[in-house]
Amino acid sequence: MSVKLNKVWMISFGLIVLALIVMNNLVRGDWGDLTGGFGNLIKFWNTELWPPEWSLIFEAQSEPPNCTVDIGFFCSKAYTGMLETLKMAFVATIFGFIGAIMFSSFAAKNLVSKSVLIPTRLFLALTRSLPSIIWAIVFVIVVGIGPLAGVLAMILYTVGYLGKLQYEEIEGINREPLEASRAMGLSHTETLTKVVLPESGNTFLSQLLFMFEYNVRHGTVLGLVGAGGIGLHIDRAMELNQYDHVMAYLIVIFVVIVIIDFVSLFVRSFVTDESEIGDKSILSVLLPANLAQRIYQGKRDSD
Amino acid sequence: MTKPIIRIENLSVGYTKPLLEKINFVIQPGEIVAIIGISGLGKTTLLRTIAGLIPKLSGKIFADIRPRGGIGYIPQRLGLVRHASVYHNVELGARCGVKVRDDSGNIFNWSKRKAVVVRNSVEEVGLADKIDEPIRRLSGGQQRRVATARAMAQNPELILADEFLSELDKENADAIIALVKTYVSNNQCGMLLVEHHSERAKQIADRIIDLSDFETKSIEEE
Repeated sequence: MSVKLNKVWMISFGLIVLALIVMNNLVRGDWGDLTGGFGNLIKFWNTELWPPEWSLIFEAQSEPPNCTVDIGFFCSKAYTGMLETLKMAFVATIFGFIGAIMFSSFAAKNLVSKSVLIPTRLFLALTRSLPSIIWAIVFVIVVGIGPLAGVLAMILYTVGYLGKLQYEEIEGINREPLEASRAMGLSHTETLTKVVLPESGNTFLSQLLFMFEYNVRHGTVLGLVGAGGIGLHIDRAMELNQYDHVMAYLIVIFVVIVIIDFVSLFVRSFVTDESEIGDKSILSVLLPANLAQRIYQGKRDSD
Repeated sequence: MTKPIIRIENLSVGYTKPLLEKINFVIQPGEIVAIIGISGLGKTTLLRTIAGLIPKLSGKIFADIRPRGGIGYIPQRLGLVRHASVYHNVELGARCGVKVRDDSGNIFNWSKRKAVVVRNSVEEVGLADKIDEPIRRLSGGQQRRVATARAMAQNPELILADEFLSELDKENADAIIALVKTYVSNNQCGMLLVEHHSERAKQIADRIIDLSDFETKSIEEE
């Protein structure tokens, strides 16, 4: 075994031992809580979680109150709650994305001076330093319980999170197109819309899709603090110890997240630097981009 | 005597330390001036300073140039938006071109006129059939034509070009040289270019400033 590999093993072993020591410190040396934990989980699953309350998914629950669709599913609490979460995530992603583009253009050092970028970066850092659930608590206090608080929380977090990703992307743009536009005398807005966006468009689109996935996942949690969506139903069910209801909602969330992940991965696989991978198969989304590129290249060559 | 487009007096350029000092020269309307010399002398830095991209260390630049669109800058790697089309790139130049007014002083329908300017410029450089192609699909020579068209669409007072003929075969270089010479002469603008090949510089320029001749790295030229 080479000396280098030996070092890697030693460091890895050291880190694992350190993690165990820290964990031991956290549980104050009492590991007793873990014994029987798995058994408790099985018991909880059998008595409380399974079977889920399927009626919440497949039967009309008069949600919304005037729901008149024939198929019960479309008036079920799970469907209407999830739909509200999706709507919240969509609105927050779109507005957050637009806000992030505006702020990131004032935070990139190749577009603005230090006196502009430092306060902008501070603002972006502030918005993403708190997770969206904390912002949701703040907005529930400000605008009251409901989806608006969730949307505002997600917008703020999206601006901070995407803003950072975007200004880093902008700073990676080739220097020369920006210099040519500065020498020409183009305005900041023109440089942003006519040079930066076309140069970074593919990456921005990929980030937009990722952020939508992220907001859907987090939107399901925001309801727990009263910020609307399916999380609100979960919160109510948990308060009443109706864990079979919680399980039904979790199944819906799981299915929707998997579908969104899959669609998003598929769409994002088209968004490469050159946008020229070509024909897609659904399996290609499961491959790393460079491997997919090589396979398609080989396929084209053999054709 | 005609008013020069740009007059440079005792200019020093560089980043922390001066690379070039006591630079003096003028460019007259319709004149092409080439700066030649070995790599690392500060030719690009001089060009970037004149373009307003980096601050000058000392000296004066007197320029009769409008602030928006007055300088057509063609950097070494052309500075094109690679993911956008030929039209998009040339339109960048046209949008800061001179707005033409009719007899009553109103600006012509600018968006329509801009489209005409773009199409004319693209036609002039012989890329009319590629107008909707993305830049990354064009050859090196075609990309240089696009950069030239972008500068032309600006209707600039001064074109600054940094080794924009490098990596070109003779046929392509000759075509672009002829195009640029005609444009500068017809529009009575000025052009300052940095060129590595002295033969090409002689072919395109009316006047050559050879930095290698100046041991103190200064240009005294009037």
